Amino acid sequence: MATLEVKNLHVEIEDEEKKTKKEILKGVDLKMKTGEIHAIMGPNGTGKSTLSQTIMGQKKYHVTKGDILLNGESILDMPVDERARKGLFLAMQYPAEIQGVTNAEFLRAAINARRPENDKISVMDFLKELDKNLELLDMSQSMTERYLNEGFSGGEKKRNEILQLLMIKPSFALLDEIDSGLDIDALKVVSKGVNSMRGANFGALIITHYQRLLNYIQPDVVHVMMGGRIVKNGPAELALKLENEGYAGLRDELGLDVKLVDED
Amino acid sequence: MTPDKLVQIATENNEPAWFVEKRRMALDVMDELPRPTIQRFDFHNWQMTPDVSNRITTTVTPNKDYELMDIFDAINEYPELLQKYYMQKVIKPDENKFTAYHTAFLNQGIVLRVPKNTVIEKPIEINLVQDSVTPFVSHVLIIAEENSQFSFIQKMTTTGNQAAVANCIVEIVAKDNSNIRYAAVDELGENVTSYLSRRAYVGQNAYVDWSIGLMNTGNTVADFDTDLYGEGAHAEIKVVDITSGRQQQGVNTRVTNYGKHSIGHINQRGVIMDRSHLIFNGIGHIIHGASGANAEQQNRVLMMSSKAHGDANPILLIDENDVIAGHAASVGQVDQKQLYYLMSRGIDKKTAERMVIRGFLGDVLVSIPSKIIREQLVQTIERKLENGQQVSENS
Repeated sequence: MATLEVKNLHVEIEDEEKKTKKEILKGVDLKMKTGEIHAIMGPNGTGKSTLSQTIMGQKKYHVTKGDILLNGESILDMPVDERARKGLFLAMQYPAEIQGVTNAEFLRAAINARRPENDKISVMDFLKELDKNLELLDMSQSMTERYLNEGFSGGEKKRNEILQLLMIKPSFALLDEIDSGLDIDALKVVSKGVNSMRGANFGALIITHYQRLLNYIQPDVVHVMMGGRIVKNGPAELALKLENEGYAGLRDELGLDVKLVDED
Repeated sequence: MTPDKLVQIATENNEPAWFVEKRRMALDVMDELPRPTIQRFDFHNWQMTPDVSNRITTTVTPNKDYELMDIFDAINEYPELLQKYYMQKVIKPDENKFTAYHTAFLNQGIVLRVPKNTVIEKPIEINLVQDSVTPFVSHVLIIAEENSQFSFIQKMTTTGNQAAVANCIVEIVAKDNSNIRYAAVDELGENVTSYLSRRAYVGQNAYVDWSIGLMNTGNTVADFDTDLYGEGAHAEIKVVDITSGRQQQGVNTRVTNYGKHSIGHINQRGVIMDRSHLIFNGIGHIIHGASGANAEQQNRVLMMSSKAHGDANPILLIDENDVIAGHAASVGQVDQKQLYYLMSRGIDKKTAERMVIRGFLGDVLVSIPSKIIREQLVQTIERKLENGQQVSENS
């Protein structure tokens, strides 16, 4: 069993133009282990993506206080590639496009990065695994010979993130708004992919605005984030309650002094 | 070398009188001629014109659909063809010191002629090996007769690692309605100082597609040139270049539109590593009278080290009003967003960096028509980048 623990995490980013610093996360606590699916919900601008990017190791987010522990070991000093090889995976909202590097080549490089020099994955094993996962995600074989995310539609990019997840098989996946921009059919396919990973050796943290995704991927725990903190934890039903009552309702119920971005 | 000695060597090699005379005349003018000019690139003290006394025989595989032969056989077997086209129609011996040197001291070469109305499906491949012991003065003459269509792939490598000079010229005569795809992977060695000149004469509605992977590891001056003489003549020029170590490279890529409605597009990508130096000049010249001409170019370089030097200079010279012309140039660094994405999948920084570079070159790489060349070039690029990364680490 693997564990991922976020302890009293404070994160700030620098505004490069104004040369000012802004604190985004103001003491986040979160504990999860493999075998569990967690969901983080919250209004826009509340720090959900900051949390996932900070866990992954995006350099523009500076940790000023607190710690992130993977299996009890602090990962704050590790570069992003090392964190990935230790078992973290971030499905991104806006994956980069790289012309000249095929999807298949990229996937093999990612798999081989986790294996010793003298034990690289064989072409046969790789293709077998690839075909299986392509089928599961209803993706055509031609996607693998295309250049990485280049010219992919929004939906294709999301599927491609999940394809990587299935091929890399991390201990923990951070899924940052994988539902945004997806039609209902694509949403089902993406959910099917994530659900196929469920098991004792896999945990996920799903970040979403909407409860809709959680109809397809049932979470074990729901966290609500507002104003840079987790303000409420609960079972799957908490998401439904939020869907009905909105974030403002929960804020007022908890008596929080948080301004919601889209609120006038 | 004295003119008498030059004539003596050529005569001993059974070269015909007209050819020996061409050599002698070139030698006569060589000293007075200036070197070619590569703007913002200084190579005045490079030793580029050593004496040559040997001849290198090139073995080619004959084919019934076209003529492919060693140039020293061709001058005897097809004297009229060679007199008309060799250093005559496309490039002239007295253009500069290096073209004169080439004509005087040529020691290796091949000639390809594809007959009228002939379509060759299989790419015609040539491997040229430069032996680092002697200078390599190499000529490739390609004559595409009217309405012919074919691909030509040229690879150049070096054996040995002694200091040497290479002076390599490629001339393409693309007659009316011909269609030529020329691809080259240049991999001359670290201690080879080279002058590479490639030029096409493009006739009416003819098409020339150049894909050039300039992967030399030694100092290089490159002059890539296309003259669009015919109405509706069209050329696409793609150049990918990587410099590493303390290598110096100056590249002029020029298209001149003479013909009405002629089209010339230049797309160049350079990666500058370590302490190397790379200048990319893209020159688009539209001659008065070439109405409806189109000249566009993109020159981009990527700086991989703070000690690297480089620039991308677009130069447009337009003497006609009714034209479409444009250019884009940039000098940039590795895209951090792409690097982060790749590394977030566990790929180590160096491998990820190489992939990002490939992404930067991608625009040009993907437009190379032959898949085989594309894959070979990718392998060569990988190798060169890996070596470059090692050099950076050790310096």
